[in-house]
Amino acid sequence: MAPAGPIGSLRRLAVATATLALLVAACGGGTSSSTGATQAGPPQRGGSLNYLVSGPLANWDRGLDTASGGAAPSIFEDAIYGQLFRLNATGDVEPVLASAYEFSDGGKTVTLSLHQGITFQDGTPLDAAAVAWNINRDLATTCVCSPITSWPKLGPDGITTPDGDQFKLKPVGAGPFEVVSNVVSSQLVLKRYDGYFKKGQPYLDRLTFTTIGGDQPAYQAVLTGQAQAVGLTTPALIQQARQNQSLTVALTPSTAPWVIQLNTAIPPFNDKRAREAIYYATDPDAMRVHLFGNLFAATQSFTGPAGLFFQAKVPGYRTHDLAKAKQLVDQLGGLTVDLFAGNDNISTTTLQALQTQWAQAGIHTTIRPDPDLTRIIQEFTGKKWQAALQLVGAYDPAVGAGLPFRYLSTAVYSGVHDTVLDQMLDDAASSTDKGKRAQRYADIAKYISDQAYSPYLFGAVTGAVALKSVHGPGLTSSIPLPGGFPAPDWDEAWIAKG
Amino acid sequence: MTATAAPAVSADRLIGRVAALATSPSLRLAARRLVIAVPVLWGVSALTFIVMSVLPGNAAQQILGVQATPAQVHQLELELGLDKPAWLRYASWIGGVLTGNLGRSLASGQPVTAIIGQRLPITVELVVYALAVSVALAVPVALLAARRPGGLADRLSMGISMAGLSMANYVLALLLVIALAVYLPVFPAIGFVPLTESVGANLRSLTLPALAIGLPLACFYTRLLRADIADQMQEDYVVTARAKGVGPWQVLVRHALRNSLFGLLTIVGLNLGTLIGATVIIEQIFSLPGIGQAFLQAINNRDVPLIEAIVLVLATAVVLANLLTDILYAVLDPRIRYGQRPD
Repeated sequence: MAPAGPIGSLRRLAVATATLALLVAACGGGTSSSTGATQAGPPQRGGSLNYLVSGPLANWDRGLDTASGGAAPSIFEDAIYGQLFRLNATGDVEPVLASAYEFSDGGKTVTLSLHQGITFQDGTPLDAAAVAWNINRDLATTCVCSPITSWPKLGPDGITTPDGDQFKLKPVGAGPFEVVSNVVSSQLVLKRYDGYFKKGQPYLDRLTFTTIGGDQPAYQAVLTGQAQAVGLTTPALIQQARQNQSLTVALTPSTAPWVIQLNTAIPPFNDKRAREAIYYATDPDAMRVHLFGNLFAATQSFTGPAGLFFQAKVPGYRTHDLAKAKQLVDQLGGLTVDLFAGNDNISTTTLQALQTQWAQAGIHTTIRPDPDLTRIIQEFTGKKWQAALQLVGAYDPAVGAGLPFRYLSTAVYSGVHDTVLDQMLDDAASSTDKGKRAQRYADIAKYISDQAYSPYLFGAVTGAVALKSVHGPGLTSSIPLPGGFPAPDWDEAWIAKG
Repeated sequence: MTATAAPAVSADRLIGRVAALATSPSLRLAARRLVIAVPVLWGVSALTFIVMSVLPGNAAQQILGVQATPAQVHQLELELGLDKPAWLRYASWIGGVLTGNLGRSLASGQPVTAIIGQRLPITVELVVYALAVSVALAVPVALLAARRPGGLADRLSMGISMAGLSMANYVLALLLVIALAVYLPVFPAIGFVPLTESVGANLRSLTLPALAIGLPLACFYTRLLRADIADQMQEDYVVTARAKGVGPWQVLVRHALRNSLFGLLTIVGLNLGTLIGATVIIEQIFSLPGIGQAFLQAINNRDVPLIEAIVLVLATAVVLANLLTDILYAVLDPRIRYGQRPD
């Protein structure tokens, strides 16, 4: 048994925070496609892979400790800490550091079994005490984004860990790679952990994460061979990469679709006719086909094609109908809308398209792409916003930035204030029976549609782009995205020599 | 006797030299400028602090993200001291600066001096390289153009300069990568190799970023220098030199160019701020772990201590560069003697 105590346990294990959520969510999975993939043959050992990250993935200022508020994305943490379980390509839960799990007591108790003989990168054993300590630490955290409620607490002059700043800069885990160097939010260099529990794995000698300014320079860097893989989100570049014979492109559908949130608490969208006018005036298919190269999936509900309980079609959903939109706008005596969003590529393009489409129905729209997360938060907390273009949902609609986040009456980022819907959301989240949950979420999708609370647009895709010599789940084939971002199975990644 | 007399003479000489040094116009200029720099740097830091205070949101909100409740944000504000009045936070920061403590990053908790120490050398090297590229290209091209105003070289350089001046740094950066890294793999598209690892690889890793920053500047300097040299070529001393039979290139390089360098020097000094500003974007594109990259991330994180420290370092660099420019005037032109009234 390992020595107890927070410092020792912290050194030895920091499990991925999504472990329990994964187990509850159980299966799912979505469609995917891959172009340019070649017959891989048996994995080869050796080589270095430079993976480029940009946008939200390029910020690990808060460090690599999973308990830090705004901690690094799982794409890094999985490589260092490993995972007890993960979702495989078919969406099934696959044991990794753990060997099995079993629910009992009506889903209130879960028993995890561990492989024997697993050690952390500092040589200490990964045992039940370490796992229990880390899970309890995670459960005690009311908000995984908060360094206040997370352990360890903040020091008087910044964020500290029991062993100073070292752990969050060079953490120790039981994953396939250990940290060599870390220039925060710039470059993270990892090397193979020779004591990894899977014999012969990981295959790569070295794994480097390098930040870059955006999709365009990232794509060019892959073309030069200086980086071997990247996850692209710009549709035009994904299409370009698919045409390139030297690259493999695996399309991974989104778990969270784009939605137009309408604030039902204040005019004009406290009037159902105004909401209906927006539904009828919006033509998501035109945007999907003409603006995004037909890469994005159509959806009329709150999860993307890769999420659980995805519904492409919802009975009675109001589709594009300009005549009806104009009629409703006339009834209202005109409609003026203030619509805000982030200023990423998809948001700004979609905002302009919406402004144009709605103008055809006589809706006068002011669009405000805003690069500042704080201002977007203030828009929501100020409660005076009218309409917002946002992402909704998560792999499991009950967790993360899922349905309650956008639809619960008490949620900061909700535009809906409906006690009936609140109850439906609670009921859907309370069951562990997948069939029951599917039915309840279908009912919710129908209810949101009937009330015209928020038109859905499409589910975006991420293009995993890699050189032909690179192989591995999440790099050259699609895997589910429980965290919303690509997180390849690093212990399976390898590079063909020659 | 000899042993005791000699130091007395040396001491006199030493005192004389110190006195001479103290009355040196250039040194007095430097001292005066450094004294003036203090309120300038204070003003820059105060302005930065005011701007960051006026902007909506703060580090606590940025750190906790969208899922945090207002109560959680408030608690972190208390722990980070963000609940205190802005003037008090600024006074506390200034107090730290005066004692050599630039504080810690709110986002990462690392000492700000450590972050700057790690990243500043990369940016300094990039800026110096870009500056060298811009001047090294501008001078010969300007000479060629001014050699025969209206000639082929002049018109060609004019066209290229206009194109270069019209192009944003980041567009040029992407084009350079396509041309010199993708199609003609001469230079790396991303990454940085430290000077300590390999001088050649280090220069190669910085060449495209330096070109992306330096080429538009070179275009600007070319036009400026060419116009100045053309003016100088009309001066009496040039006519005299020609009349004496001095060759055209010699006249251009040894007479006209030397006098035209003052204008160039002024602009180069003034442009240092622009040069540093360009590194913010260019370091993102080329994945260079420099101070520009850290600056952008600090702004996104509302990491005021890091922003303030970077601004202070960069403002100091600009002030010192301008001082160096003024001193170089005196070196280039012996007629310039700072602090002396013209007779």
